Amino acid sequence: MSTRSGELNTVIIDGAPVLRPRKLPLKTRLYRDRYLLMLLLPVLVFYVIFRYVPMYGLVIAFKDFRLVDGILGSQWAGLTHIERMFRSEHFFRIVRNTVLLNVYQLLFQFPAPIVLAILINEMRSKTLKRGVQSLLYVPHFISWVVMGGIIITILSPSTGIVNRILTQNFGIRPIFFLADRTWWVIVFIFSGIWKSAGWGTILYLAAITNIDPQLYEAAIIDGAGKFRQIWHITLPGLSTTIGILLILNVGGFMEVNFEQIFILQNQAVMRVADVIPTFVYRAGLLGAQFSYTTAVGFFQSIVGLILIWSTNRIIKALGGSGLF
Amino acid sequence: MMVNTATRGEKIFYSINNVSLVLLAFLCVYPFLHIIATSFSSTRAIVSGEVGMLPVDFNTTAYRNLIEDGQIFRAFRNTVVVTAAGVSLNMVATIMAAYPLSKQRLTGRNFYIWFVLFTMLFNGGLIPTYLVVRALGLIDSYWSVWFLGLVSTFNLFVMKTFFQGIPQSLEDSASIDGANDIVILIRIFLPLSVPVIATLVLFYAVGHWNSYMNVLIFIPSPERQTLMVVLQRMILSVQAQLMESQAGAGAEGMLELQERLAAEAIRAAAIVIATTPIMLIYPFLQKYFVKGALIGSVKG
Repeated sequence: MSTRSGELNTVIIDGAPVLRPRKLPLKTRLYRDRYLLMLLLPVLVFYVIFRYVPMYGLVIAFKDFRLVDGILGSQWAGLTHIERMFRSEHFFRIVRNTVLLNVYQLLFQFPAPIVLAILINEMRSKTLKRGVQSLLYVPHFISWVVMGGIIITILSPSTGIVNRILTQNFGIRPIFFLADRTWWVIVFIFSGIWKSAGWGTILYLAAITNIDPQLYEAAIIDGAGKFRQIWHITLPGLSTTIGILLILNVGGFMEVNFEQIFILQNQAVMRVADVIPTFVYRAGLLGAQFSYTTAVGFFQSIVGLILIWSTNRIIKALGGSGLF
Repeated sequence: MMVNTATRGEKIFYSINNVSLVLLAFLCVYPFLHIIATSFSSTRAIVSGEVGMLPVDFNTTAYRNLIEDGQIFRAFRNTVVVTAAGVSLNMVATIMAAYPLSKQRLTGRNFYIWFVLFTMLFNGGLIPTYLVVRALGLIDSYWSVWFLGLVSTFNLFVMKTFFQGIPQSLEDSASIDGANDIVILIRIFLPLSVPVIATLVLFYAVGHWNSYMNVLIFIPSPERQTLMVVLQRMILSVQAQLMESQAGAGAEGMLELQERLAAEAIRAAAIVIATTPIMLIYPFLQKYFVKGALIGSVKG
């Protein structure tokens, strides 16, 4: 704490006198921090215009928005768009697809970096370890467009290397991986793991290094093998990190990776692959149904907010540290 | 020490673990090698399925076709412009906001932090954002892309956390010497923050380079579009040709197949061109980005 110019007050905290800097008047503080405020102000303006004004723009979910009238000038429509949304079968399909793809990701993609980090941590050779990590991080830096292009190339039924291996070595007829609804979901999950599992290990590996080595030594003396050490020491040591990432994951349940889905989806699999953001893009921007799709997007944002808030509460109630 | 005292069971565990991780890491990058090999291979080799990890009948036809077409290089230039200017704006804005927010004494600090943090929890969504950009007349201007992604709240907190870790005493002695906050930021804090600045430059640059949706939505003119949008259009058109030639496998079937597979090499070449810059800077920045990813995870 700053103790300049002797501006100290005596305050009683827990029955003991403590010296504390006197709070300066607001005007003095604002003048003292004028340069800081000058730096901050432009960025706050950015947040207002490009983050908060769009939030205000959500009112068009309750209007019949027309481009010529603008957000303010358009006529109020009450709850007609909301009613239409809840009566639409397509709406329930895209919500179901969004939630289902997230559930699959939670089941398969979420644990992948945890397992991977534990295995990487068990590598004895430093050089090998670093090499493996460098390669596993690469996909994180590659765009979904490129990943999609590669996936389409290697999975192509006529020329793709995967189908060639299946046909030549196992006599299996070519599989239309991206046009078959079941295979598409599997490709979606695997591509997600491919892109994110390596990068995801960073946080877990850092958490593992914070585990007290004495715990392992004690476990070895007690005769615990590798798997028991992992199960009883490493995993519990990771629980806080897992908890926080779980909140973020569940909080994002109404979102999906827009680019990943948009790039992998095609007409043949729309029944499982059409999700809220892709619908909003297609019907809203391309189809000019501004108000209706804003209502759909609003629904998504609200549910997302409730989800992140409640998972945070639950984690805290269970004794975890939570996010906020 | 551990290795010497390893039991037989542990030795088996370590070997299996090493082998499977090396295999996994290899599988992870194999598709990239396959694409590079395809881009340098002859149509004949691609048709017969000989191409694996190394080019067969090495040639550069696909690249020469792309140069002749010119489209991808125009897009490449646009992407360099968007990335270079975008990253500069990102860094200036991120530092400008992170520095004041890192100061405990700033009046209203908690309010500002929540103001910024709330945008991570709730947002207006695509359509209202689009309408705001449209109302500002930024459609088809790179400013739409630069403004919308001006500050990543995550990166802002990485920067802020790093600033907080710089000793208060450095600031105090400078302010006694009469330096104001801006001078202190530029002369003392920035030189000490090179590692985290390098990390954020990398994060922002990769983000701009790989950006697809924003350009697709906000930049309709083909001559202004960036690599990823152009690349995606090429991938889709190869895909469409493939569907057509499968539907009409008739008299000219073979000729169509030839053209289609030439397109496949071109697509691979375009992917290589779009990815090369990132792969070139990757080894140099690798030592920074792991640290950056970790700073961001610290609460505060």
